Amino acid sequence: MALTPDMVKMLAAGVAHQVAGCTSGGRPVVCRGMAAQLEPDGRLVVVISSESGFEVIAAVRETRNVALNMTLPENYQSMSLLGSDAEVSFAGSAFRELVTARHAAFREQLNAYGFPPEYTGAWYTATDDQLMAIRFTPTSARNQTPGPGAGSALALKTS
Amino acid sequence: MSAVFEDGLSLFAVRRMMEGVVPPSLATASADRVPNVSYLSLAEYVDPLHVALSYQFFNRSRENVLATKRASLTLDDPYTGAGVVLQLEYERTDTEGPVFERLRAKLMGVASHVGMDKVFHLRGADIYRVLEMRRVPGRKELPATQPRVDLPTNSRLLSERMANCGDLADLLDTLLCGLGELLRIDFAMLWLFDASQAALTLLASRGYEVDGAGAEISVGEGIVGTAVREGVPIRVGHMMNMATYARAALESVDALGPASPAKAAIALPWLKEPRSQLAVPLRARGRVLGALLVESKHDQFFGYDDEDALMMLCGQFAVAMSLMQPAEPEAVAAPPKSAQPAQSGSALRLRRFTRDNSIFLDDQYLIRGVAGAILWKLVGEFLRSGRREFSNRELRLAPELRLPDVQDNLEVRLLLLQRRLAEQNAAIQLEKAGRGRMRLVMSRPIDLHCENS
Repeated sequence: MALTPDMVKMLAAGVAHQVAGCTSGGRPVVCRGMAAQLEPDGRLVVVISSESGFEVIAAVRETRNVALNMTLPENYQSMSLLGSDAEVSFAGSAFRELVTARHAAFREQLNAYGFPPEYTGAWYTATDDQLMAIRFTPTSARNQTPGPGAGSALALKTS
Repeated sequence: MSAVFEDGLSLFAVRRMMEGVVPPSLATASADRVPNVSYLSLAEYVDPLHVALSYQFFNRSRENVLATKRASLTLDDPYTGAGVVLQLEYERTDTEGPVFERLRAKLMGVASHVGMDKVFHLRGADIYRVLEMRRVPGRKELPATQPRVDLPTNSRLLSERMANCGDLADLLDTLLCGLGELLRIDFAMLWLFDASQAALTLLASRGYEVDGAGAEISVGEGIVGTAVREGVPIRVGHMMNMATYARAALESVDALGPASPAKAAIALPWLKEPRSQLAVPLRARGRVLGALLVESKHDQFFGYDDEDALMMLCGQFAVAMSLMQPAEPEAVAAPPKSAQPAQSGSALRLRRFTRDNSIFLDDQYLIRGVAGAILWKLVGEFLRSGRREFSNRELRLAPELRLPDVQDNLEVRLLLLQRRLAEQNAAIQLEKAGRGRMRLVMSRPIDLHCENS
């Protein structure tokens, strides 16, 4: 399964990222993500901080299950992508350019809501050494836009 | 369990993160460990160990929570960028009671902003016990904004000024002026709840281009109408989509049938583009008597501390208002019939519509409800007997006014009537004639017309 063109477009639109996992003991964990993009092999990579995302990293390593929520502030459009083959690896400086670009787009989105530019800077503090990548094959997608349709399945493209 | 969590955190200390400026996110997992994460409309502080989360739709999060009882919640400070992560255990769902009502009122406020008030419906308040709470590490927090005033000290000063007021007009002016002078709140409106009309009537405003006294909205309309209906404060701290809001309000009016004369005739003193609003109910003796609405042109202007301060001041105002029954009138030797000022010009046509006691002077809407009935009685009595002075007490006892009970304060209605007449520079004015007495002053002859409708 692969992302639809609209989903790929949304990755770069300035979304907020939330990344969730669950430990083998059943503890749900969550952290903010900084960037996500489609890899050439059709997998999705989401970049998080090892410092703020330590619980998620440990849970994903344990169960390999992951959920990525992306929400666009300008219209509340929101969706989740799920995977069950997630792998965690060091991302480092190779993803700095992507993180910077995604941060700029997200900052622009929040600016319209009256948040000063430095506000999102409080969330994007990870150094290159702290950038971690979670790669997974999206197996299902859910609509999370507020309303009665929240939680319903979104169709993925057959790869 | 202790109410102090890791890093010395307490739920009370992070409650401003639950304002919804930055939406909270909720992570859950199914029994087979498949995670899910989505944004919530609202989180609400319940007590040092519990939070309430809005339950609007039966979705994946709820399915997971009912299966596992576990969830993780993230909250972000809208000012500093700091964040906390909570581990929660689901306990129950409330479908009534104070927590549910607070959450429902806030949801209505939020929903009306995004044009979703017909869709957003609170099914319940999910109550969770907080098992753990910790700071999100690695955040480069911004300095907390300096408070614009010393709220506790200045609220106390304002409270003292209000305590020295001897009558309602003085109390009202002291409150509205004090909000600007001491709390730096430049835009304020004080609304009265008229249970007989199921409406709110604007008693006074400050800071707007139009005064709007006598203007009406329906109970449940906008955040001030919702605050009155639910009896809880509602605060909206981020950019307001006024166009959507106005549309929602219009739909609400349409659903209630034709607009009342007050709605059609008196312009509301709204800000064109408010960025923050806070509506605080006036509560006394277990009832909601009205609400104070304050607004700002700045985002995130009102915080929890403002809400706390205004709740106390409005409580004091409401109690004082309900206690300020008309004083016993001074003894008068004989009912004065003389001292009639010269009346000239064409007759003023005073029309009353019996359905809601709405009063028109010539073709200009003046007021309705109890205040309208009062004016009708006073002028009618004058035309019958020539008497221009009246005691508040005789009005309070007049059966035709049908004052609902002692808490439907006559003094308030008289003040509203007096201000509406003065604002219109009408040929009829109402002035004080000593303690507990008032006097009609008319500069034109009057023709009364009663229309049954």
